[in-house]
Amino acid sequence: MNEAKNPNPLFMPITYLTTESNKTGSWRFLHPQYDEKTSPCSVACPAGEDIARIEMLASQGLFKEAWETILRENPFPSVCGRVCFHPCEGQCNRRELDMAVAIHSLERFLADTAIRYGIKPVLEKRPSQKQRIAVIGAGPAGLSAAWFLSMLGYACHVFEASAEAGGVLRWGIPLYRLPLNALLHDIQQVEAQGVTIYTGKPVSPDVLEIMKKDYDAVFIGCGHGRGMSMNVPGEDLKEVSEGLDFLRKLREGETPPCQGVSAIIGGGNTAIDVARSVVRLGGKALLLYRRRRQDMPALELEVEMALEEGVKLQELVAPAAVARDEDQVVLTLQEMKIAGDEGGRARVAPDEGKTRKVRIDRIFKAIGAQADEPRHQPPAGDEGLLSLSHTVLVRGNQGPVMVFGGDLTNETKSVVHAVASGKEAAMALDTLFREGFEAIVPKLEACRVGEGPSLSMEIYMGGQRRLRNPHVVRYEEINTDYFGFIPRVIQPRLLKEERVQSFEEIDLKISANLAMKESERCFNCGLCNQCDNCFIYCPDTSVMRDKDHQGRHINYDYCKGCGLCVVECPRNAMSLREEES
Amino acid sequence: MKRVLEGSHAVAEAVRLAKVQVISAYPITPQTHIVEILSEYCTKGMMKAKFLRVESEHSCMAALIGAQSTGVRTFTATSGQGLALMHELLHWAAGARLPIVMAEVNRALAPGWNIWVDQTDSLAQRDTGWIQMYCEDGQEVLDSTLQAFRLAEVVNLPVMIVLDAFYLSHTYEPVEVPSQEEVDQFLPPFEPKFRLDTAHPCGFGPLVAPGDYMEMRYHIAMAMEEALDRFDEIEAAFAAQFNRRYGPVEAIDCEDADIVFITTGTVTSTCRLVLQDLRAKGEKVGILKLKLLRPFPTEQIREKLRSVKKVAVVDRNFSFGASGIFAQEVRAALCNMPVHPTVFGFVAGIGGRDVTPELLEMIYWQTKTSDVPQKESVWMGLREVKNVD
Repeated sequence: MNEAKNPNPLFMPITYLTTESNKTGSWRFLHPQYDEKTSPCSVACPAGEDIARIEMLASQGLFKEAWETILRENPFPSVCGRVCFHPCEGQCNRRELDMAVAIHSLERFLADTAIRYGIKPVLEKRPSQKQRIAVIGAGPAGLSAAWFLSMLGYACHVFEASAEAGGVLRWGIPLYRLPLNALLHDIQQVEAQGVTIYTGKPVSPDVLEIMKKDYDAVFIGCGHGRGMSMNVPGEDLKEVSEGLDFLRKLREGETPPCQGVSAIIGGGNTAIDVARSVVRLGGKALLLYRRRRQDMPALELEVEMALEEGVKLQELVAPAAVARDEDQVVLTLQEMKIAGDEGGRARVAPDEGKTRKVRIDRIFKAIGAQADEPRHQPPAGDEGLLSLSHTVLVRGNQGPVMVFGGDLTNETKSVVHAVASGKEAAMALDTLFREGFEAIVPKLEACRVGEGPSLSMEIYMGGQRRLRNPHVVRYEEINTDYFGFIPRVIQPRLLKEERVQSFEEIDLKISANLAMKESERCFNCGLCNQCDNCFIYCPDTSVMRDKDHQGRHINYDYCKGCGLCVVECPRNAMSLREEES
Repeated sequence: MKRVLEGSHAVAEAVRLAKVQVISAYPITPQTHIVEILSEYCTKGMMKAKFLRVESEHSCMAALIGAQSTGVRTFTATSGQGLALMHELLHWAAGARLPIVMAEVNRALAPGWNIWVDQTDSLAQRDTGWIQMYCEDGQEVLDSTLQAFRLAEVVNLPVMIVLDAFYLSHTYEPVEVPSQEEVDQFLPPFEPKFRLDTAHPCGFGPLVAPGDYMEMRYHIAMAMEEALDRFDEIEAAFAAQFNRRYGPVEAIDCEDADIVFITTGTVTSTCRLVLQDLRAKGEKVGILKLKLLRPFPTEQIREKLRSVKKVAVVDRNFSFGASGIFAQEVRAALCNMPVHPTVFGFVAGIGGRDVTPELLEMIYWQTKTSDVPQKESVWMGLREVKNVD
């Protein structure tokens, strides 16, 4: 029917004027703003990796950028993607919805991808500084210190006593956990950054004195390579040896004898590494631990796989005596009982009168390690001493400043703590050279991730990350309407039958497809991933698109402060504050 | 093609055949079957329509107002509380002259929660500017829905197709479903008289001062009046093509009747049986079925009841403090006739209670034996309620 025949033409209110003159922003008493925050995983990571951002980049297929984001905080993604104890996953907000994001597997994937395609990182680097720094020990702490110092423009020379760099990574971790090429790649990358590594150069006290003349600072990260004593009779028999020495021989290419039964004393990762290596060499491994399985400092998964592979475990037993009996040894074990609690682990005490004997072929000690030489320890007293969270700075009246780091000063002896120590040393030395001793502590405080102990080099170097709110995003602050239940990726592994036959790496690769899906599970707590929900939901069309890094801003002339944008932000990258009157 | 369909699906078939372009709805019993099958049609590609999920009926109508303003054909369905929640936007849709079509399944309002039939929900929307059509069976539902789009689009007013809960929405009956070609012939694509267009920006519904507002309202009043004529034209066109016609009112055996039932919805069908029985007993009785509530067919009612002595209005609704709502409307329509029938108001079947042939017969005899109504509304079939200590 056409309009001409309509006897009642429409008489309707239509306007062609704009409502721009009505600045509805004046009605506002709440003020939404873009406010990127801190993810709990990044706080939990001792290296302070920007995990929420790494996963965001990975989910977009930006693998190189994701990998570079790791490198800004940790030069060892290939190593840590394999051997890190990943405390990040324990704090992942996603655990409250279904399961933690597989951050560990994704780190490994990104490193593998970089290796596979020969990707060279493009990282910010300061212009050259005049100071020269010597690093003693090419383990994870020393190499990290060198990596970050060279990022900050310093010439670094690393002196390593062994024939190859890597420290405990090269000599103390079995190949099935950390293949050589995975380690070499990370080390080569440190060298490519401009770090010179001198191997086969032990630093004696004399050499150190000479060094002190040539360098403005010396970082000492010699690690803990010497075993501890059990303090039991018969400990000096030749059948009793150090677990770490056994692992070192293996990594040097030897095949130490393993026939019969080897007893391994201890419950840490070294004990598990030794036991599983023994199994791989065709021997039987008997793990003896003074507490219970759940109290072991070793990674639970490592223990589980060891038992699957045939390692036997006896709990609540401590060595009491060792004696030779023909061509075997008899180990007397003191049975232990639980005598309380000690920070979540059982405190144990001898169950008096209860002992038993086991007949075995040899004993490996894995009850902890200490510095090779007392001079590697930082001096006692507090004159000129600055104890930081992962390092100790010693400033004498003359000569260069000495920084002790890595296992020498870390309470927790782990690879990622060693990285943290190297980073802290680099920041402290740079601050010392540029702003003086007094500036070190406040400067480090300003570079904390959230309010936790981890430090961020990106923040230190003035990157975008420094703009984030230190508030750590809680699960309740995530808008989980935007996240469905998605199962966590299952890390593919060799079957146990395959595992025990060789030192082949157990953890297999995950595909790019799986990695992207897994990284999409990440809430990206506190970070904007440009999802545009704020833009879409704003009823006042007051979210305006920009070309800057944030991508948009709020037009406060018209924003009425309804807060929809903040509520609909899936990842808590916005905040609503009361308007200042 | 004849198919056995429940009333809800008769609506859905009509919506599919009308090639609706945007559907939005929030589920509510007893309406849900309608949009459930429509969403399925959209998913399967049987309809080229955008189905908008919303978080409430208020948002649903808001979404349709937006969609319809861009010049597309739109549809929704609701019931009871859902319709009540839409109230504000029902006024808007009519004031903005948007030809939205809605199926409204009558449901009693809470509290106490009741999902069964009661007309108070749709009658409470009487003054929103929506055309309202009350249907008796599945065929009428399908036919009226098709006609509704044409009527709405020609007078630029929204239309509500009203169905009884369960008695009609969930009852299976044979329904003649026309072919797409036939429907295309009856219902051409929607040609909007105005639309939102980003190439020619404008705003609908700004502030209007007293100098213009009254005229705008008067135009809606005129459009409502026009709708009565257009309804006849559209029914005529429909009848010519499909050979079915319902009328704004349907008078059954009213010519010689002394007493006439006035009914709506499915009660009419029951009443048709009662009529046969009473006629067989020699009673001079008829039925006037009301289809249109808005626009109210005053002239047709006056015409059909010219020589009737008494009318018995059966209301499945109630306006507290007054009377059954259809009874009020009928009284208002008749009062300015010099001689008019006496209006007896009866309230029956509230909240889904059965309106049985026996009950309707009681209404008849009560009307016949009374000279004047005892009350404006007599509540039929009330149980004795004992106070519980």
